[in-house]
Amino acid sequence: MGKAIDLLQGTLDMLILKAVSLGPLHGYGVLLRIQQISGEQLEIQQGSLYPALYRLEHQGWIASEWGESDNKRKAKFYSLTAAGRRQLRAETEKWNRMTSLIASILRTTSEQI
Amino acid sequence: MNLTARFRSWLKWIVKGRRLESEMETEVRFHIESRAADLVRKGLSQQEAMRQSRIEFGGIESYKDAMRASVGVRWWGELGSDLHHGWRLLCKNPAFTAVAVLTLALGVGANTAIFSIVNAVLLRPLPFPEPDRLVRITFNEPGLGLREVPFSVPEFEDLRTRAGVFKDVSTIAVASVNLTGTGHPERLEFIVTHPNYFSMLGATPQIGRLFGSQDFALGFAPVSVISDGLWRRSYGADPNVIGRTVRLDNDPYTIVGVLPPGFRHPGPTASGNVEVFQTAGFSGDPAPPPARGTRIMPAAIGRLKPGFTVEQAQARLTAMAIQIRHDYATDYPAQAQWTIEIQPLQEALVGNVRPMLLVLLGAVILIVFIVSLNIANLLLARASGRQQEMAVRFALGASGGRMIRQMLTESMLLSVIGGAAGVLATVGTLGLILRFVPSNIPRLNEVRIDWAVLAFAFTISVLTGLAFGLAPALQSAKTALSSAIREGARGSGYSTKTGRLRDALIVSELAFAVVLMVGAGLLLRTLRDLLEENPGFNPTQVVAANLWLPEPNDPKADPYLSAAQQTSFDRELLRRMRAIPGIELAAVTSDLPTRDLRLSDAQAIDALAIEDRPVESSPDLRAERIRISSDYFKVMQAPLLRGRFFTEGDEDGKQPVVIVDETTVRKYWPTRDPLGQRVRFGADPTKPWMTVVGIVKDIKSDGLDIDGIPHIYVPIYQSPDRDLSVVLRTSLPAKLLEPQIRHEIQSIDPDLPAFNVSSMNDVVDRSLASRRFSADLVGGFAGLALLLASIGIYGLLAYMVGQRSREIGLRMALGARRWDVLKLILGKGAVLAGVGIVAGVIVSAATTSMMASLLYGVHPHDLLVFLAVPLLLFGVAVLASYFPARRATKVEPMSAIREA
Repeated sequence: MGKAIDLLQGTLDMLILKAVSLGPLHGYGVLLRIQQISGEQLEIQQGSLYPALYRLEHQGWIASEWGESDNKRKAKFYSLTAAGRRQLRAETEKWNRMTSLIASILRTTSEQI
Repeated sequence: MNLTARFRSWLKWIVKGRRLESEMETEVRFHIESRAADLVRKGLSQQEAMRQSRIEFGGIESYKDAMRASVGVRWWGELGSDLHHGWRLLCKNPAFTAVAVLTLALGVGANTAIFSIVNAVLLRPLPFPEPDRLVRITFNEPGLGLREVPFSVPEFEDLRTRAGVFKDVSTIAVASVNLTGTGHPERLEFIVTHPNYFSMLGATPQIGRLFGSQDFALGFAPVSVISDGLWRRSYGADPNVIGRTVRLDNDPYTIVGVLPPGFRHPGPTASGNVEVFQTAGFSGDPAPPPARGTRIMPAAIGRLKPGFTVEQAQARLTAMAIQIRHDYATDYPAQAQWTIEIQPLQEALVGNVRPMLLVLLGAVILIVFIVSLNIANLLLARASGRQQEMAVRFALGASGGRMIRQMLTESMLLSVIGGAAGVLATVGTLGLILRFVPSNIPRLNEVRIDWAVLAFAFTISVLTGLAFGLAPALQSAKTALSSAIREGARGSGYSTKTGRLRDALIVSELAFAVVLMVGAGLLLRTLRDLLEENPGFNPTQVVAANLWLPEPNDPKADPYLSAAQQTSFDRELLRRMRAIPGIELAAVTSDLPTRDLRLSDAQAIDALAIEDRPVESSPDLRAERIRISSDYFKVMQAPLLRGRFFTEGDEDGKQPVVIVDETTVRKYWPTRDPLGQRVRFGADPTKPWMTVVGIVKDIKSDGLDIDGIPHIYVPIYQSPDRDLSVVLRTSLPAKLLEPQIRHEIQSIDPDLPAFNVSSMNDVVDRSLASRRFSADLVGGFAGLALLLASIGIYGLLAYMVGQRSREIGLRMALGARRWDVLKLILGKGAVLAGVGIVAGVIVSAATTSMMASLLYGVHPHDLLVFLAVPLLLFGVAVLASYFPARRATKVEPMSAIREA
């Protein structure tokens, strides 16, 4: 495991939306998926997932349903709603613009000013 | 943000809070155990894995809190923090908070108290099944200007059988009676009804039974139902009271039932709650044989058949009355226009107190307006001071709506605290308050703080909170947008916009104060006029007591059967009264002035015949007959105008004589000398004529606010009466005399109760009780309104001076004199007051006619009141402006500018 990066403020929601966009997941599954996609690079406070999940559900971006986990236990599965899909698209676009902007700012050398 | 989803999840949380709580628990446990299982697969022991998993998860409880907050109870969270913030602000300004809470508590408390009375008396239906079908039935003779004339047994039968609109009809004869045989003799209220009275009202007994058809009797049925109050007072709540004998005016009746505590006779009574219920047919002894023209039943109530509205039933009855007049023309003189009218019972019961209660309700609502405007003004001043705070919050991302909500939360907090304090105070003092409410208001026993009252108090509190919170809230949100930060730390001055709003608030406050003060002025002037009105007698140093010679149905039980027996009682009574040390003069009368025992005009005013006057005019000739003993006018210090007073020699067997008052003279002998004229009461031509021997000035016998009734005084020895009032001229107080008066009366007859022993001043005073109550109450509120208005205008100007001190300093530095500054501020106050007062006077002029029925001798547009109130308020407003104005002149130009 390489050195973990702390999660950037405000990005957790986006990551959760992305994670569940690939298929319904329970809370622990969301954690595993994010770690898996990030190649174990992101450090997430595990408990902080849940207020975020609840908030997203409350905002209507994800929906939840009780089901059975792989090990035959009762678990709550989250899936993306239509509104959530739109939100994810918007967030992604915003993020991309932001990063390219920041990146271009950071690339700036003294001659360019 | 998706509002519906948010609302849905919030609702889910509220509705299924507990289930969500357990789901949350399940979800968290699932996470921790799944993680632990993975850790076990990586080689940790089960115990170690669980520990590790928990650490990685973090603080479970705080995350759960965060989860709860996410689900919506975010709005509640904000509310909580707003409340917290508001509470801290209130605590930081204890003076402001105290003034606001106190005035609010007063306003809401007054509203709660008055509304609880209005609710019980006017709004709540009568406590009987299907109360809207109960009506009061009256017989009127509009042609003669007479209301509530008595009716005869055949007429009663017409109602029952011929009218076809009533399910039940019952006679109502209310009177008072001597109760003996229960310790000491007592005077109490009783009622004679038809046997169906209780079933019509849907009453059930507490013990025993009520009347049924088996109790029908031509005369009086020998049975009695008693009230819960009498049962407890005189029989110690004895459950074996059934079957016992109660003696009423010496006649024995068997008690068959006791009513439950809540039962009250729904009608006007002479002096208090009805305590004994009798039933009689009015067709046999002691009543004369029934005949259409023998009208002896005083009133009736009925229950309409299902399917009849009051209007439909009235139409039928009007038609029936016309038919009856036609069928029995000799019994119904055409010019009387005899007719039958019905009125919902509740209206009949409370109709005469409705205007007073509505005026009181109007007054308390006005006062709460004024309180609310006053607080709005204070809050607005504070909000201007908080502009910077608002601007900072706005810059930090709070939305305008969010800030309005915060400000509103603060004012609602204030209004709820004030309102709760008011309601609590009212609940705590309602018993005390009711003691001040005149007892002639019916249904006072039903007054309580119920849900309707609480809902009203809550609505009033919330509305005032909204009213006084909204203006400052909108203002602050608006000004926050407009860059208050830039305007700097030292306050932005008296901005025109806020200023205009505050001016409008103060102007409306003053206008409302004017309306309230004008109303109070009219009521107080009425009361003062009545108090100053010459009643025609001098009530000071007069003590009065009532007694009643029993009138049993059984002549053998009647010790006062003959006129001679009654006369000898009167003589003995007067002899004993005069012998009490400290009594200068004693007299008896059948009608104590201003003691309102009258149930209807028609029953108290006798038909009169005047010698040499054509018989056709006889229905118009009426006068109230008052029996008096010889010294009556001397005791009352009523002046004789001409002729002579009665003497002890004006007795039975001598020439019948009368004394008339000025109204009688004006009415019946406007151009002739009344002395020596002869009159007689009733239509019986065999009765001897009575000669007018004296003329006295008018005595306000029927109440200070009743004029125009002719009175004819007759010697009590020539026309004895069982209803007696003793009047004594003495310098001793009534309390001291009461035991002696009672002792002397009961030395003559131990079965006679002496009641209502009080000074004549108190008797007169009691007759004004409800006028005094409303005048004092509205007057008190008007005083409060004046105070609040002056605080309001003072606060506004003081604030303005504070905000504009730089400008004032600058003006002075540029050469303005102190007088100019004084004029500037005073002028502002005067203009505000002027506008408010003019507006208030216009509103008052348009509305005072609604209270005309509460006024006596004072026009609703009384010039004095309409001049005095504006002048007073203007004077107070200018005075209140003077203090801030003077402070403005003390502004040091240099320091004010330097601060800038």
